[in-house]
Order: sequence, then C-alpha cells, then structure tokens
Amino acid sequence: MKSDSSHEAPKWPFRALRYLLKDEYLEELEGDMEEVFRDNLKIHSPEKAKRLFILEALKLLRPSLLRNFGMSTAITRHLMIKNNLKIAFRLFRKEKAYTTINVAGLATALAIALLIFQYVQFEFSYEDYNPKADRLIRLTKDNMNGATVVDQDCETNPPLGPLLAAELPEVEAFTRAYHIDQHMLKVGDEVYREPRTYAADPTFFELFNYKFIHGNPGKVFLEPHEVILTESTALKYYNKTDVVGETIYFTEIEKDFEVVAVVNDSPPNTHLKFDVLISYPTMVASLNEEDDNWRGNNTYTYVLLTAPDKYDHFKGNLAALNRKLQEDKKLRNAQVISEPVKNIHLYSDKAFEPEKNGDYISVFFLLGVAILVLVIAIVNYINLSTSKSLDRAKEVGIRKVVGSSLFQLRFQFFTESFVINIFGGMVAILLISVFLEQFRSLAQLPVSFSPFRDYEFWISLLTIITVSSVLSGIFPALILSSFKPVLVLKGKFSRSRWGNNLRQSLVIFQFFITLFLIIQTLTAKKQLDFMRQKDLGINTEQVIVVPLPDGASTTIRDELLTHASIKDITFSTMLPGLPFSHLSTTTGIMLENSINEHNYNFNMIWIDHNFISTMDVELLAGRDFTPEENSNDNVIVNEKALALWEVPDASSAVGQKIKLWGRQATIVGVIRNFHISSAKADHLPVLFLPSKGAFGFMSVRTAEGDAREHVALIKDIYKRNVKDGPFNFFFLDEEFNKLYQAEVQFQQVFGVLTGFAIFIACLGLYGLATFTISSRTKEISIRKVLGASVSQVIVLLSANFIKLVATSVLLAAPITWFITEKWLNRYAFRIEQSVWVFIVPAFALLAISFATIFFRTYKISVINPADSLKSE
Amino acid sequence: MKKTKLGEFEELVLLTVTVLQEDAYGVEIKRELEERLNQKLSVGSIQSALKRMEEKGFLTSEFGEATNKRGGKRKRIYRATPYALKVLQELKTIRERLYTSIPVISYEI
Repeated sequence: MKSDSSHEAPKWPFRALRYLLKDEYLEELEGDMEEVFRDNLKIHSPEKAKRLFILEALKLLRPSLLRNFGMSTAITRHLMIKNNLKIAFRLFRKEKAYTTINVAGLATALAIALLIFQYVQFEFSYEDYNPKADRLIRLTKDNMNGATVVDQDCETNPPLGPLLAAELPEVEAFTRAYHIDQHMLKVGDEVYREPRTYAADPTFFELFNYKFIHGNPGKVFLEPHEVILTESTALKYYNKTDVVGETIYFTEIEKDFEVVAVVNDSPPNTHLKFDVLISYPTMVASLNEEDDNWRGNNTYTYVLLTAPDKYDHFKGNLAALNRKLQEDKKLRNAQVISEPVKNIHLYSDKAFEPEKNGDYISVFFLLGVAILVLVIAIVNYINLSTSKSLDRAKEVGIRKVVGSSLFQLRFQFFTESFVINIFGGMVAILLISVFLEQFRSLAQLPVSFSPFRDYEFWISLLTIITVSSVLSGIFPALILSSFKPVLVLKGKFSRSRWGNNLRQSLVIFQFFITLFLIIQTLTAKKQLDFMRQKDLGINTEQVIVVPLPDGASTTIRDELLTHASIKDITFSTMLPGLPFSHLSTTTGIMLENSINEHNYNFNMIWIDHNFISTMDVELLAGRDFTPEENSNDNVIVNEKALALWEVPDASSAVGQKIKLWGRQATIVGVIRNFHISSAKADHLPVLFLPSKGAFGFMSVRTAEGDAREHVALIKDIYKRNVKDGPFNFFFLDEEFNKLYQAEVQFQQVFGVLTGFAIFIACLGLYGLATFTISSRTKEISIRKVLGASVSQVIVLLSANFIKLVATSVLLAAPITWFITEKWLNRYAFRIEQSVWVFIVPAFALLAISFATIFFRTYKISVINPADSLKSE
Repeated sequence: MKKTKLGEFEELVLLTVTVLQEDAYGVEIKRELEERLNQKLSVGSIQSALKRMEEKGFLTSEFGEATNKRGGKRKRIYRATPYALKVLQELKTIRERLYTSIPVISYEI
C-alpha cells in the first residue's frame, strides 16, 4: 500500500498558527484552508499545492485574525513600541555604514550558525526514524589480554542473540545481521554486486522500522533462500517495485532466491544501511554454521529491550552471562559488551563498523566554532553601538528630562538590537538559500537535506535571533541608559571609562578567537599534508585494482603480462585503503618458545609470490614466497608483529616457529611495516600467508601513460578470462586517499569558518575605527596645525588598535598551543608544532587589521584642518 | 446617525454574503468573488474582512455543518444584519445620485 501523505496538507503551519490566531477562529480557518488546499490539488501538482498552502497560511497573519497577546493598551502605550521602532529606523537611515556593518556581520554569523546547527542536528538524529530506538542495544565483543582490552570488534558470535533472548528477561527480541559483500546477484542477464547485503533474522523488522511496500511482514525470512529488496534496488533491477515472486540467482550460493518483499530505502540517518537482505536460515544452510558455533565471530547482534529503563538490569545480567560463557570456554579471552544503538553513530569506533561513523568530538568542535563566530558578530554590535554613545547621549538626556523611565530607555535599545537582528536573520535566510548547495556538498549531507522544510529550522532561527538580540542589546542598554542628564545637557559629558574598557576587552576577545581558529586550521592542514605525504611503506601509485569473483582463475596474469604497458601483477585478499571487512583476524598466535601468554589480535592477508615485489614493500630479512608455496606452513610477518612477540630484530626472527591454529608454522620473511589504513592509526600486526587462489583482488602495476588505455586493455582481457562477474576497477592511490575524506572535509569546513570569522572580526574593527576616529577629527586637525605629519597621525591613530590585536596574539598563543597539542595527540603519527605556525598568522593578523583601519586613518590624516576647525 | 466606515473591499465581501445567502462561508465567498473580480484572493484577506465587519456589526455568523472536504471542520455561515442592508442601500443611493449628477458631456467621454 502506498501512502498518500503527499496529498495531505502539511501539518506544521497550523501547529504554529494555533499559537498565533484567535482560538474562536481556528476551526473555521483550518477548514477553509483545507478546502482551498483540496481545490488547489485538483489543478496543481501536490508540491505546488503545498507551497500555495504555506503561502496562504502566512497570509493569515493579519491583525484582525491574530490573538490578543494579553497586552492591555496601557502596557503597549507604556512600552512605546511604535515610537521605538520609528526611532530605530531613523537611526538606521541616518547611520547607513553602522547598520550595514551590523547587519552584514550578524547575517553571516547567523547563516553559519544555522547551517552548522542543522548539520549537528542531523548527526544527532541518527536512528530517530525508529520509534523503538531507545530500546535497541547492539552487542559487541572486546578481545582481551588478561584484564586489558586489546581490540574492540562490532561483530559477535551467532549463538549470542538466541542465548540472550532465552536467558535474559529484559530482552524482548533479537536479530542478527551477517554482512555479505562479495556476492554476485544475477537478475536476468545482468550481474550486480551489492556491497550492502546482509543476512538477517525474521525478527529484523520487529527491531528496525521499515515499511513493507510489497509483501507481508509477518511471513518473511522463515525459509532459506528468500530475499528482500529496498525500493531503489527493486527499481534498479526491474524498473518497478511490485516484484514479489521474482527470482534472483546468487552466484556464490548457487541458488535461486525468491523476492518475498520490497521495503523502503534505508534512511540516511541510520548506521545500518542495506540494499539487499537475505533470510538468515540461508546462511546457516549454505555456510555450514551450526547453531552453537562459538568460534565464528562475524554477525552483528541487536536486542530489543522490554523497556528503555531496563538497560541497567540488562548490563548486570550481561556481566553475569559473560562470566558463565568464559567459564564454559565459549568465550576465550573476550567479553561481550553492549551499547545503545542511538550512540553508535557518534560514539562507536570499533573494528568492522557497518559504515564509517561520525565523531562526536568533531561535531562538538564545529558547534563550538559556530557559536564563537556568532559571538564575534554580537561583539561587533556591542562595540559599534556603545562607541556611538556620544551621539546618543543628548537624546538620552532629553528623554530622561521629559520623564522616561530607565526601563523605557533600556527597552528602546533592546528594540534596536531586535530590529537589527531580525534584518540579519532575513539576510541570513537569503544567504543560506544561495549557498545551500555548496554547504550540502561540503558537509556531505544527503541531497534531500533542505532546512527550510522542517519547522525546527525556523524555531532555531527564532531562538538564535532572540538570544543574540538580548545578548547584543544588554550592554548598550545598560551603558547608554546610565548617563546623567544634568551632566550630558550641560555638555560636560565624557566617554564612559567602563564602556571603553569593555570595548577594548571585547576586541581582544574577538581576535583571540580568530587567531585560535587560524592556527588550528593551519595545524590541521599541516597534519593532514603530513599524513598524506607520509611514506606508506608501499607504492600505491600506478596501480589499478580489479575485484575478482570467488574462484576466478589467476591465468589472466599471463595474458596481461604479454603487454608492455603492464609491469607486474599480484593477487591478494586485502589492499591498503580497503575496508577492514576484507581483513581476517585471529587471536592467540604465539612464538613457539615464548614464555609470555598473550592474546593479541593478529590480522591476516593472503598474498601470492608477487605481492612484495609488485607493491614495492621492503623485505627486511628472510625471503619472499615461492610460486609453489600454498599452505600455512610458512608465513611472512611485519615488524609490528615482531614487536608484539618481543623479538628484537628482523634477522633473528627468520626461522622461528609460531603456533598457528594448533599447527606449527615457520617465519620465512620479515617485511617493513606499511600502512594498511590511514596514518591516523598505528600500524597493525600482520601475518602474510601464501595462497594460489581465492583472492579478492588483482592489482596491476602499469607503466606511465594514459590510464584509460590501461583500463581498457585490462577490461578486454578480463572479459575474455572471467566468465561471471562485472568488471570493476579502482586506482589504489585514489582509494587510499579516500581514507582522509573525513579529515579533508572537516578541514574545508573549518577553513571556511575561519575565513568568515576573520571577515566578521575585521568588519567590526573597521566599524569601531570609523566611529572612534571620526570623534577625534578636531584633535587631529589641531595636531596637524601644530605640525604633525600624515604618517605621525596614522601611527597615532593605529597604535591603539594594533596594541589590542597584539595583546590578543600574546594571550592566544599559549592557550592555542595547549589545545592543538592535545588535538595532535589523537594521531599515531603526528607533526611537531612549529613556531612559524604561530608567528606567521600573528603577523598576518596584525597586517590585516592594520590594512582594515588604514583606509580610515589615512582619510582623516589628509583632511584639511581648516575644514573641520571652522565648523562648530 | 453615526456612520461606521465600510471599505471598498469590505463592501464587495458584504454584497457577496448577501448574494450567497445560506452558502455564505469563507471559501465559497472567496470563490464567488474571485470569479466576479477575475483575480486571485487569499483566505486571509477574505477572513480578515469578515471578522472586521462582524466586529462593526455588519455581519452575524453561526457554525454550519462539517464536511469531509474540510477535514471534518465546521463551516461558519455569515449573514448580513439589517443594519448592514440599510448601509448598503444608503451607499447605493448615494452612488446613484452621484452618477446621475455627472454632466452628460463628460459622461459620454
């Protein structure tokens, strides 16, 4: 059944209008709007009808329909809203520069803050699509060495789920999901590879909220060889969604699967996204998984609790169950722990995550920076409005004399900040709509992301505007309303010392933040460059990788090598830069004569005898595999593995025996560590095992030249040699660089934010310079009459501002050093901070601020003293 | 006699109410007037005119039946008060007199 929600009027306009319109009119108005909407639906598309509906709803905001907001006319008159607005608009018209600077600064900051808030909200909205999410728990496994956790793995043993459901009273249901990414699907004559395929229990849909577009939720997945497609997968295969009963051939399992249902696509905000699901019973049958197999450790396990507050009970019972499983030797050197599914996206970073997760530190960092940028803009307003105090002093004096209360005066200044902020908000909306596309691609948000559609956006807009109006209005209101009327009107007014100090500290604060952002951005960039340029220990350039179907013959190698442009070829199960799901892991591998028991997790890669030479990996000691070697008798290890076994040097390791799954194997070679994953993480201990078949990847090192020709050549030969399986390829260096995508993205967002922070701060400095300098015109004229030169005047006027910026540099440097040091320590291979990263931005900032005010100082220093002195 | 002002648009809405009789509720008034004026009107403009006139004593109203088409919400049926009819009549008379007072020459132009 297809939902017809597209033919219903949007709900949120009336949700908001209910608060604004008179109660007695609501029913009639809602009815009218509904009727008009249906009329519109007949002549327009649903989208257009909805747009019209929203427009009509906005047009309902008229004085005669609006609710009386409990304000008696006496209060309204007392507040003098109309008069205040009039004064505010007069001020804006008179002071165009002042208004423009304020509005520009606030608009930019508001736009940034709103977009970042939206992004943060998206990151925090993971699993919100699922009403049961607060009861969903994922079980994961910690590999232990004694009492210390060596390694955290998202995947657990298959019998765990059923056991939990049977033993623990808090568990209402469980489901398992087994990731299958190597399978080939044959639909008619087309062959597809779907990396997001899982085998799932029938209970999957009790835990995860999906809508069945076709098929019956109660009757699926009880039998083997059933498959469920998502809507877009069904459309991709069949061009329609009504495909229940069709069959798909899975080449690896060699069976026809029946399509039993079509469900909606996985939402963008879930950690477990799939395109194809197959029934769990299939896997038990095809992979020979018995029910009580505690050796395999390859399934995601989720449980649904009976109530969210049962989680503590559950954890207690789980600890007891752990002890029992350890005693029964079902868990060896391991423990099962739990985490709420809602926390996975931002807080979980374990091995074999279904997708790359977010990172709460980055999210909070961005949020913090967005708030700082907003604060810089608010500071601008405070500085500019209080620096104009001289102009307003007389006005305030007169108002006080004719009987204005302190409250009324303050309210007037709040009105001004409100109006400016509302202008800023309007320009911000304009900016957001113009730059939405850029932001979407920068933050890698789903295409469906559009902030204007959800009412939370408007609520956060109103909240930010209110908060920023109050914050920016509070200082002007206090300072400007405190003038003594007698003094002011006698002309004995002098600038308030307090106001001056406040402005100076605020400028220091602004540039403090700006400098921090610049240095942090530069350091992050240097660290990223360092990681990307770091010698990986393996040569990823000029390598084209072709994924192979299982059982593909390696004879393709000989034919490829007859071409001059192909330099070398190797086969392996894993390559640097690929997801860890291609890596096999095992524990309990020890040196034969080792005294220390340990339980480190070792990674295994099967390679052929060409791997080391093709990939330019350095062999430190021993020898490479020979073409004949094909068993687990001989292994090659990397330096990291030696370090774990506490073998001092490479040459002494060669010839030593290790225990490998109850058998004995000899170390024949030791290679230098190379990065399997990004240089963020430390090296992994790896065992390389020889093999002659069952590789996942063929890596082809090509000569320099046109990559397209190389690909065409490989494709041609591939098509002739490999029967099943579509031809896919990627360039190894590009694939590896994708590991830094999150860093690059974060860096870009951060760079843009820093740019805007500098812009807004300089805008404020410019404004402040304009107003303070213009009040010193007479002083400058007299100085010039007495013989001051242009350059002397410029130095005199600039000195004060430059002093402020210099102070902020001195304050920012040590604090920034401390914070970036902590940030860099998150990386296994990090750069050392250099003094230049501090000195260059500091001088750049001084230069920028000098340039900003130069225009103003120069203009005043070249005036003709006669012009300003003769006027009084 | 104390005159309450009746705006041009209000007068049109009021006339439509008297024309439609039992059918005089928001959307129907809007449809009728849109057709006669040959221009689009918003719900808000009609409704605010109705509310203003009700306050000034030109209209009375009561709830009518609810229909599915309106999402189960009741209609509000408007009725012109005798006072409104009197004002309309007066306005018409004033206008007619003015028209007849226009000199013939300029009228023909």
